[in-house]
This record gives sequence, C-alpha cells and structure tokens, in this order.
Amino acid sequence: MRIMVAVKRVVDPNVKVRLLADGSGIDLTGLKMTMNPFDEIAVEEAVRLRELAIASEVLVVSIGPDKATETLRTALAMGADRGLLIKTDAPIEPLSVAKLLRAAAIEEKPDLILLGKQAIDDDCNQTGQMLAAQLGWAQGTFASNLAVEGDAVTVTREVDGGSQTVRLVLPAVITVDLRLNEPRYASLPNIMKAKKKPIAERQPADYGIVVEQRLEIVRLEEPAGRLAGIKVGSATELVERLRSEAGVLS
Amino acid sequence: MIYADDGSLSQEQRLMRDSCRAFVDDAVTPFIRSNWQREWDMSPGERLPRSILEGAETIGVRTLGVPEAHGGVDLEHDTEVRTFALISEEIARGDSGLADKLVQNWKVSILLREFAPKHLQDKWFPRLLADPQFLLAHCLTEPRGASDRWLPYNVPEAAMHTKAVLKDGHWVINGRKQFISNGFDASLYVVYANTDTSVGMLQGTSSFLVPRDTPGLTVTKCNETMGCRFMNNGELVFEDCRVPADHLLVQNTALGSAGKYFRAGKIIQAAKNLGVGVACFERTADYVQNYVQGGRILIKHQAVALRLADMATRIEAVRSLIERASRAVDEGHPDMDALCNMAKVYASEEIMKVATHALELHGGNGAMLEFGIEKLFRDAAIFLHMDATVDVSRMKIIKTMFPATAGKYAGPEN
Ligand SMILES: Cc1cc2nc3c(=O)[nH]c(=O)nc-3n(C[C@H](O)[C@H](O)[C@H](O)COP(=O)(O)OP(=O)(O)OC[C@H]3O[C@@H](n4cnc5c(N)ncnc54)[C@H](O)[C@@H]3O)c2cc1C
Ligand SMILES: Cc1cc2nc3c(=O)[nH]c(=O)nc-3n(C[C@H](O)[C@H](O)[C@H](O)COP(=O)(O)OP(=O)(O)OC[C@H]3O[C@@H](n4cnc5c(N)ncnc54)[C@H](O)[C@@H]3O)c2cc1C
Repeated sequence: MRIMVAVKRVVDPNVKVRLLADGSGIDLTGLKMTMNPFDEIAVEEAVRLRELAIASEVLVVSIGPDKATETLRTALAMGADRGLLIKTDAPIEPLSVAKLLRAAAIEEKPDLILLGKQAIDDDCNQTGQMLAAQLGWAQGTFASNLAVEGDAVTVTREVDGGSQTVRLVLPAVITVDLRLNEPRYASLPNIMKAKKKPIAERQPADYGIVVEQRLEIVRLEEPAGRLAGIKVGSATELVERLRSEAGVLS
Repeated sequence: MIYADDGSLSQEQRLMRDSCRAFVDDAVTPFIRSNWQREWDMSPGERLPRSILEGAETIGVRTLGVPEAHGGVDLEHDTEVRTFALISEEIARGDSGLADKLVQNWKVSILLREFAPKHLQDKWFPRLLADPQFLLAHCLTEPRGASDRWLPYNVPEAAMHTKAVLKDGHWVINGRKQFISNGFDASLYVVYANTDTSVGMLQGTSSFLVPRDTPGLTVTKCNETMGCRFMNNGELVFEDCRVPADHLLVQNTALGSAGKYFRAGKIIQAAKNLGVGVACFERTADYVQNYVQGGRILIKHQAVALRLADMATRIEAVRSLIERASRAVDEGHPDMDALCNMAKVYASEEIMKVATHALELHGGNGAMLEFGIEKLFRDAAIFLHMDATVDVSRMKIIKTMFPATAGKYAGPEN
C-alpha cells in the first residue's frame, strides 16, 4: 500500500500574529513557520503504517512557495520516503489545493491519502472532502483511529457527542483529528538523513491547473483585547462576580 | 524573544533548532517548573528523572559528535560549531544543567572521534548510543587550580600534578581531578596527566581514555553547586589506576591538540548562557504583562519597560557575538581564539545582568524558589567561572591579540 500525505506550511501556532496595516491579511514577514499540527499527525500515522510494513512508501506533498520544502524536510525527517513540492507563490484556496492533490494522486497512484482535518491558519476544513469528491474515492473525516485490513480501512470519526465508525474500501481519503496519535519529533540524526531524500518539484501548470482566487478577504480583525483585572474586596464578592459576571459558576 | 532569522542558517539547522525547542517546551520546562524541589534532592543520582535523558534521546541530542558510521549524527563539519551553539542554547533555555550534561558528551565525542584508536571507538561509541544515561566527562582541573592551564603558565613547575607513567604495557595514573562536569556519573572519562616533568604543560601533558570501572579510579564526591544543579559535577582520585597502552589518546601535546574541543567549548558555553538569558527574558516579559502594581500591569511603568528593553538588547548583543565567533571557529579564522573567548566572557557578564533584571522585575516572587526565577539567576552565576574565570578569559584575549607584547600574566614573584 502506498500513502500520500498532504502537508501545509503555516504560521507557528505559538507565535503572536499581527495584521497587515490594511487589514487584508496576516503580516508573515519574519514570522516563525511550521508544519500544520494536524498534518504532523497525518505524517505520523503514515510513518507508523510504514514501520508496521502495512505501507510500502510514504510520499509527502506540499503546495506553496520554495520555503515549503522545509515542511517537506520535516516530514522526511519524521520518516516519509520522498517529497513533492507543487510550487506556487500565489495565495491558495482549498479548491485549488484539492485539484492539485487530485492531479498528483492520479500521477502517483496512492492507495490512501491522509490530510489534517484542517489547517490552523485559515481553519477551512474543506480540502480533504473536496479531494475525495473530485477523485470519487471513499472519505473518512476527523479520524481518531484507523485500522487497515486488506483493501479496506476502518476509521473511527470524532463526531459531536461521541464517535462513529465507518469502513472505507481503498482507495480512500482520510482527514485526521487531534487524538489519532502523538507525532514524534524530527530527531537530529533523521534531519541530517532527510537531507538525502528526494524532493521533486512541479508547477501547477504541469498538471494543466491554473490556481484561481475565488474568495476575497474583506477584512480581518484582531480579537478584542483582554480587559484589565480587578481587585475584589472579599471572597464573597469574588464568588458573586464569578457567578454573575464571569459566568464560570452557576 | 525576537525571532530574527537572517537566512544564514541552513534548513537542517533550523529544523534541528525547532525540534530541540519543541522537546524543551513539551518535556523539560514543564518538569523544571513543577518540580523545583528536585534540584535540592541530596541523592545526586536521583535529581534528574531518567525520563528526561530518555526524552533527549528521542531527538538524538545526546550523541552529537559521534560519527555517522557509528550511528551518530554527522553534522555539516563546516558549520558544526554554529549548530552546537544553536542546539545548546535551546536546551539551556529549558535547563542549563541538562545542557551541561549533554554538551560534555558532544565535546568528548569529538575528541574520541579525532584521537581514539579505531577499535576503542568501535567499542565505546555503540555503548554510548545504546544507553540514554551514558555520559562522558573531560578531566583537566586539579585542586591546585585551573587558571594556569588556561593562560597557560607553561613552565615545568606549573605542570599537572596528576601523572601517568608507562609500565609493562600499561599507563599508570596517579593524582586527583576536581570540578569535573558529569564527573559524578559519567561512564567514560578523558583524563589529562603529566607525562614529562622536564617541560611545561603544553609539551608534557597527555590524554587518556579511562573507563569508570577501571581499578584505581574512585569517584570521591559530587560537588554541590549553586546552579546548573541537574549536572552532577564530581571529584575523582586516581591511585595506581592502570589503563592499557592503547588508551593513550594524545602523547605530550594533548593540551594543544584539544584546541578543537576548547574553542567549540567556549562557544557552547556562551550559547548555553544565552539560553538562560532567553529564559529570563521570556519569563519576565510574560510576568510584567500580567502582574499589576500601581493600578496597571507592570510593563506600563516606564521603569519596568526600560529594564525589559535592557534585557532584550543585551541578549541580542550576546547572540550577535556568538554568531560571529562561532562562524570564525567554523571557518578557522585567525582571530577565532580571541573571538571565542570574547563570546564566552561577554555572555557570562551580560546574562548575569539580564538575570538580575529578571529578579528585580519579579519583586518578592523573584526570591522564591517555587517561582523559578532565582534558579535562573543561580544558573547564570555559574557561567562566570566555568571554563575559565572572567579575568583569565580577558587576559587570554589580550595574549592572543598581542602575543609579542602582552605579559605571561603568571610566574614567580621576584
Ligand atoms: C560548574 C563547573 C564545571 C566545571 N567543569 C569542569 C570540567 O568538566 N572539567 C575540568 O577540567 N574543569 C571543570 N571546571 C573547572 C573550571 O575550569 C575552573 O574552575 C576554572 O577554570 C577556574 O579555575 P579555578 O577554579 O582553579 O580558579 P583559580 O584559578 O584558583 O582562580 C581564582 C581567582 O584567581 C584569579 N587568577 C588565577 N590566576 C591568575 C593570574 N595568573 N592572574 C590574575 N588572576 C588570576 C582568577 O581569575 C580567579 O578570580 C568546572 C568548574 C565549574 C565551576
Ligand atoms: C525575603 C523576603 C522577606 C519579606 N518579608 C516581608 C515581611 O516581613 N512583611 C511584609 O509585609 N512583606 C515582606 N516581604 C515582601 C516585600 O516587601 C515585597 O516583596 C517587596 O516590597 C516587593 O514587592 P512585590 O513583591 O509586590 O513586587 P512588585 O511591587 O510587584 O515589583 C515588581 C517590579 O515592578 C516594579 N514596580 C512596582 N510598582 C512600580 C511602579 N509604580 N513604578 C515602577 N515600577 C514599579 C518593582 O520595582 C519591581 O521591579 C518580603 C519579601 C522577601 C523577598
């Protein structure tokens, strides 16, 4: 079985972001970037299947600027076998990503495609679903567990208030949730070894795809600032305010 | 802290730094913050839980310097020292004692890689790799003092007291070593001893590989230090301690040959020190943006803002000098000796000031053990005299810059 994993380069969730002066987006200059945390979980799952000899190869794909090779390198250091960068400097929306991943899948013929359930920058939660629809493959979203048996995968999905188990016949697209696994660190020796693993490069045009922008961001706003703290006179007042104002006690 | 990637780091260096940072944030800092009493456990072997070194193993950070052929990490040799600096800063940002433990392994591994015969490398590197608790130590300092060695004071009278004599195919070592990082719990030691009493230490000091279980070697105590307490500094006594002749690493010119180790060592020292400074800044920046006095969060008081700015500026200046000095060492620049000593001494004094600000800005909390700020202050203080004192480092800088006119800065009074 061959697995393809999509990985996105996003702003590090631990850094504080700033808006561009005109409010049209985030100022990415000099910001620390990292692999989308949900994609790390997808890579980890693929690498585990590879270690169990259930998968024979793990291909990681990223769509983005040159610097996205760093994200691919991280995935290679975690244990993926080879990388593919589909290079574009344009802002890119879920539909375009899905189209490009579909094109890559047609060329690479994986049996299973793993993605994060969403990227933590735009929180779209659309790419996996669109990709499955375009390929006409089975899909399992929000996976908190998966087990491959022959030509099928059993996926436990996290749904509101519980879980749902579905069985997908391969080929399939699975988007992974937070509790699926705990991704490993890219260790220093493996980072050095990953340097020797191949990363192929393509342009969207190679697949006959034009990256279109269909959505326009009208405005971004920062969340409201935190209010200053207050001092209360007594424990009774504290309890009262926690109940009436903060709403944390009932 | 300012995240300024000037593009001079390779992709691998950035990824390594990120992995170390993630490990520190996930495992080291939470342990340090919630177990402040552990530093004061008087069974040194119990202080740092085994799981921390096992965790360090998952990112492969204990065995840098071990050749790839032996299962270690082959860093790019022409940027190796810079990489060491990046990684040791990140680890020390979590705990500088842990960083001390690990960097001794890197530094001694470099010596083994350079000087140990192949069959001994084949024997020891696999053991080092197999056991997450396996540590290495580097034994130079003796009770009579270390400054003479750094200057160096190169006359027969100032030679090392520890002596090694070749007898029946074995080197027999007698003497005492003190203040040795990892000395208390290392499994393998590199030991320096006098092998020619007629010359100065640069011409008459040899280095040896001494396994911990060698008869005649006794670890006499763990030195209880003011800071970096998760590294167990130790004292060793050698009484007719016999190692096979092939355990000799470098004969007579061991101090000069170890230059590679010393220069990287100064940079690593400065970089660990920087990591302590960054931790001071991060903790303090967070505190002053949350804690209220005078009706507003502390940062809104100009006096507080000025101190915070001073901390950040000193940290950035230290970082810049480390970058420059580590590049010089990697490139073998003629001024590398002066620069690496400058980085070491400058970092130690500047970060001490940074830690003092951190203490001040935390008010009474700064003095409380459970708050962890006084720990950073104690850790910072250790750097002033580890790997040469501030003053000896300065003399060393002048001796390297003006070798013809600078004095020896040592010798008998007339
Ligand atoms: C935490 C820690 C870890 C260490 N780890 C190791 C290790 O792993 N291996 C190892 O071999 N050693 C180690 N050391 C020893 C360390 O290198 C020495 O402590 C250091 O070099 C200072 O030497 P000293 O303690 O003998 O001080 P001294 O040399 O006695 O210095 C005392 C004072 O005299 C001054 N002084 C000395 N000579 C002169 C001079 N000629 N002119 C003017 N002033 C002078 C010094 O500047 C200093 O102020 C460690 C020390 C510490 C604290
Ligand atoms: C060992 C010890 C013993 C003590 N014993 C006693 C005792 O017996 N009885 C007792 O009542 N208390 C005691 N204290 C408390 C002590 O008086 C306070 O810790 C000290 O006054 C500092 O106050 P703070 O801790 O609230 O710091 P903070 O006031 O929070 O100070 C934090 C930082 O903010 C700065 N800052 C605060 N306000 C301003 C402002 N308006 N403008 C500019 N900068 C500002 C301070 O200079 C400092 O740098 C003790 C403290 C210690 C450490």
